[in-house]
Amino acid sequence: MRIGRNIRLLVTGLSLLYILIPMLVTIPASFTSASYPSFPPEGLSFQWYTKLLDRPEFIEAFFNSVKFALLASFFGVLFGTLGAIAIAKYEIPGKSFLVSVLTAPLTVPQLVLGVALLIYFTPLMLAGTQTGLLIAHIIICVPYVIRFVLTGLSGFDYTLERAAMILGANPLKVFWRITLPLIRPAILSGALFSFLISFDNVTVSLFMVSSGMRTLPLEIFSNMQDAYSPIVASVSSVVIIISVLLILILEKLHGVGRLVGGAHE
Amino acid sequence: MEAVRRNGSPEVNRSMEPHITSQKKYRRYNKYIPALLLLLPLLLLIIGFFIVPMLYILYLSFIQTDGLDTSNASYSLMNYTRFFTDSYYLSSLWLTIKISLYCVIVSLLLAYPVALTMSKCTPRVRGYIALLVASPLLISIVVRNFGWFLLLLPNGMIHRTIGSLGIDSSSLRLLFSETGVVIGLSNSFLPFMILAIATSLYNIDPSLEKASAILGASPLRSFFSITLPLSLPGVVSGSVLVFSLSMSSYVTPALMGGANVPVLPVVAYDQMINLMQWTYGSAMSYVLLGVTLFLVTVFTRSMERSRFKEVFR
Repeated sequence: MRIGRNIRLLVTGLSLLYILIPMLVTIPASFTSASYPSFPPEGLSFQWYTKLLDRPEFIEAFFNSVKFALLASFFGVLFGTLGAIAIAKYEIPGKSFLVSVLTAPLTVPQLVLGVALLIYFTPLMLAGTQTGLLIAHIIICVPYVIRFVLTGLSGFDYTLERAAMILGANPLKVFWRITLPLIRPAILSGALFSFLISFDNVTVSLFMVSSGMRTLPLEIFSNMQDAYSPIVASVSSVVIIISVLLILILEKLHGVGRLVGGAHE
Repeated sequence: MEAVRRNGSPEVNRSMEPHITSQKKYRRYNKYIPALLLLLPLLLLIIGFFIVPMLYILYLSFIQTDGLDTSNASYSLMNYTRFFTDSYYLSSLWLTIKISLYCVIVSLLLAYPVALTMSKCTPRVRGYIALLVASPLLISIVVRNFGWFLLLLPNGMIHRTIGSLGIDSSSLRLLFSETGVVIGLSNSFLPFMILAIATSLYNIDPSLEKASAILGASPLRSFFSITLPLSLPGVVSGSVLVFSLSMSSYVTPALMGGANVPVLPVVAYDQMINLMQWTYGSAMSYVLLGVTLFLVTVFTRSMERSRFKEVFR
């Protein structure tokens, strides 16, 4: 019994290490003083961070990523929240079918979605444009928002809305003062999750971008494929640190384990 | 109202009837209007930029053209027959299936002990493990692959560690090989497997294990005749998820395998972007979807009819 338990705990530790090792390796490797990437790093220097500032393509890609992630999560939250409220509140025939259709972009491989959108966008003059990339990112974010807000509304007490209505509040005021504050955590989680999903996306973006417009993960992708230098390690470390900060906020809000588990069932 | 209608003249009756029904109809549809207004932007988005494009490439996959010109196109199954008769594409499909199966096996072996630990520890510790397990999913896949890239390089830490043990590792290819792809993919999808198995382990009634211990079963026996069978739904759903995600992965095989590991998504991307074979690329997308769906369905059905079919209810 003892031995079995110890083996289990050992394998658990090793598995957790296996999951986390890419991040644990990348951050130290970014402080190398050598001209090639390696782990363990050789020496200690910040040169790959200062050199990063001299590479306008990375800086531009970073701001592009932030811009698209903000816009995608804004529109994703807007469309997704309104839709989820309609689904939760009203008696609509074929509700479960509707939910599965609206969250279907999660079940289709991103590669296939990228192929479909590229072919579809080309005659519409949207291929390789900012609008096209934004639409693609909204499509992959919106199902998460729908799921989170639906979960947030699952225990919602509609008598509160009715009470406010009886007391003379108009529907807009009811939404603003009653409904919205009660589902705010779910909406915020959806927004943060969407931001991360969009900020990290590679596969769909690969089909949507043109040479003049790239996101940060794509810049890392092409640098890894062509020539790689420790600068990839320093960009990756920046991505890791931003993601970890947002993940910690998500954890405080909602619990990341619960979010991801629920989001992919 | 009723009284008036019953006793009133036929003229009154006729004049009132249409009014009543139209009002009823109005009321019946009226209640859907707010829901429809709230849903409209979302519906337009999903139909316009997801369902229509997906149907459009399904249609394109049945068209035979040269390049992008669809003006003098004809309908045929040529794209599909080309795929299933060419040994290059078939071997690519087989490679994709094989790598996905390896990923399922590796992640099952690594995930089960973690899930078991999660089901046995305090809720506080469970929360911390869940955070550690799930958060890499929200960090970009290229970043996670880069970490493995550093470790698997020919002069990287893993090669050096093997070398320091006195084993010649020069013939061992970790990067740009199937091994590298399996490591990268299983690393990224392991969290899904852990969370799926853990969910089914939480639902097991702890008194069952206690009962079997009282009846004299060893912990090992309890595990194999109670815990493992009851956790099979989680094992199946985790395996299905890891398998389908591995089947359609593009980024990890492209980075960790390169040209040496031409899995179907890599070949399809090449057809689409470099060769501009859009109708063939569309057909390959649907082959990928169809084969994955078929294999997953066969697997789940066979598990549901197995010796442990009761646990799937």
